[in-house]
Amino acid sequence: MNIILIIVIVVNIIIALLFSLGAAPILVWVERRVAGFIQDRLGPNRCNIAGFRLGGLIQSFADMLKLVFKEDFRAGAIKEKFVFSIAPVIVFASAFLSYMVMPFADDLVIGSQTFVMQGLPINLGVLWFLAFAGLSIYGIILGGWASNNKYSLLGSIRAGAQVISYEASMTLALISLLITYGSINLVDIVNFQGKLLFGFIPAWGVVMQPLAAIIFIVTAFAEANRTPFDIAEGESEIVGGYHTEYSAMKFGLFFVGEYVAMSASSALIVTLFFGGYNLPWLGTATLKEHFSAIMWIIVVALPLLSFLFGRWIVKNNVWPKTDDIRNKETKWLLRMMVLMNMVIIAILAYFLYSGIGVTGTNIAVAVIQVATFAIKLLLMNFVFVWVRWTLPRFRYDQLQNLGWKVLLPLSIANIFLTALVVVGFGV
Amino acid sequence: MGIKIVPRYGKSFKDKLYLPAIFAGMKTTMSHFAKNLSDTSNIKTECYPEMKPQDITQRYRGVHRLTHRDDGSVRCVACFMCATACPADCIFIEGKERRDGIDEKMPAVFKIDLLECVFCGGCVEACPCDAIRMDTGIFSFVAKRRKDFVLDKEQLLAHKSFEGEK
Repeated sequence: MNIILIIVIVVNIIIALLFSLGAAPILVWVERRVAGFIQDRLGPNRCNIAGFRLGGLIQSFADMLKLVFKEDFRAGAIKEKFVFSIAPVIVFASAFLSYMVMPFADDLVIGSQTFVMQGLPINLGVLWFLAFAGLSIYGIILGGWASNNKYSLLGSIRAGAQVISYEASMTLALISLLITYGSINLVDIVNFQGKLLFGFIPAWGVVMQPLAAIIFIVTAFAEANRTPFDIAEGESEIVGGYHTEYSAMKFGLFFVGEYVAMSASSALIVTLFFGGYNLPWLGTATLKEHFSAIMWIIVVALPLLSFLFGRWIVKNNVWPKTDDIRNKETKWLLRMMVLMNMVIIAILAYFLYSGIGVTGTNIAVAVIQVATFAIKLLLMNFVFVWVRWTLPRFRYDQLQNLGWKVLLPLSIANIFLTALVVVGFGV
Repeated sequence: MGIKIVPRYGKSFKDKLYLPAIFAGMKTTMSHFAKNLSDTSNIKTECYPEMKPQDITQRYRGVHRLTHRDDGSVRCVACFMCATACPADCIFIEGKERRDGIDEKMPAVFKIDLLECVFCGGCVEACPCDAIRMDTGIFSFVAKRRKDFVLDKEQLLAHKSFEGEK
């Protein structure tokens, strides 16, 4: 054990926590604001701390506090108290743990040591994700059953049937991918996608396996219980589904668990199909080779993007009452943005002047890759939210039809096709 | 009788693929999102306590007011027509003799209980003298005690028409 090892592990765990737990309030906020904008509404924009609204993000923290301080009510009819209490923990913990194998940067080399940039440095990759994504349904089934309520039971039965039928197609779609990539290790998979196809197309999974990409994304929606597959909740038919009887932070854990599961699904989708932490056309080796050019690009692009973003803030971050404390926010945000720009550019200028060294380049590349992964993750989460506010819910029989009669045969056909290509052309 | 044949969708291969329709829907929602994100002033939402509604029309029935004569005195003659027409029994009038020669009778007490009122406008229709109107545009009335919701004659006379006195 040495000091660098401990630092890297701690940093990894912190990044993994930020991506999973820290994502939940941000995703709740994104969900509400995007829903508002899609429906020509504003969404939450009122909550503030000393005038800081951050576009409504503070509302998420207010809601979280509300859930923590609410009365934890449990109906007298509920006899299985232990199962009732453990169910949201299972949902949350399995969603949380399934996140831990997502690589958010290429293997980091410091001196003679190599570090795997994951929350948990294990090589199980996709299998770990599938195991825990499948486990989360136990929480829903147990919660619905222990609630001693017919609506909860209906919701959990629906969720169970749905996840079982869609997990089959999901795994089969994955198998065709694994044939293509030749590995279950997610770092290998992402590095495979860093290569170029025919010399100019990034060899992303979505290009190599478009059918598997569609099947996997659809089943991932079902796996995360998101619209159009959220019949487990089905609030228009069965009250609240499996979490009807839950209140306070027990409900909060279900709620946060859903968002963490959604974020984990998008992380896997990004990793498998959209190049993971790779920038298009810029693999890890290319980044390291031309790193000073990358720094120059950042030095030029950062102020430009900040200027555009600042203009957007000035235009849109207004409050109708002129003497309100919320109107002071824009000024402070702009100041902080200028300060951040100056600090980043000063650091980059120092490195450009003095040279960054091999270890420095490796760490800086890792930072860029984490940022890339975060942006891709946010975009994929946006797609989840976007689809939710576009499509209505499936009817139950339609859902099973789609799962068993369309997606399953397609994914099996895709395996055969992939295997034929791999064996026939020896790719 | 003509027969209108309604086209049935969902049988063609393109419809059965689902994806073209889904992408078309996502395009629509995306266009709304992009429009509203680039300029939030496009959104019609009113930030209510700070922005007051601008679409109150002449026919909107707000809180009542008692109108004035040209000389500024109360127009009401305490004929009890409004109190008789009121389906909620929320108007309480006590009449008295009017001695200034303008008219014969005027209200000594004129109270409206806003918690009882159903804002039907029956009193306005019933009034023979155009003495009571509901054109103040006041849609929100707040008080801490029940009795504060009972408006008396002075309060009713003080209300203005939202378009200015006519």
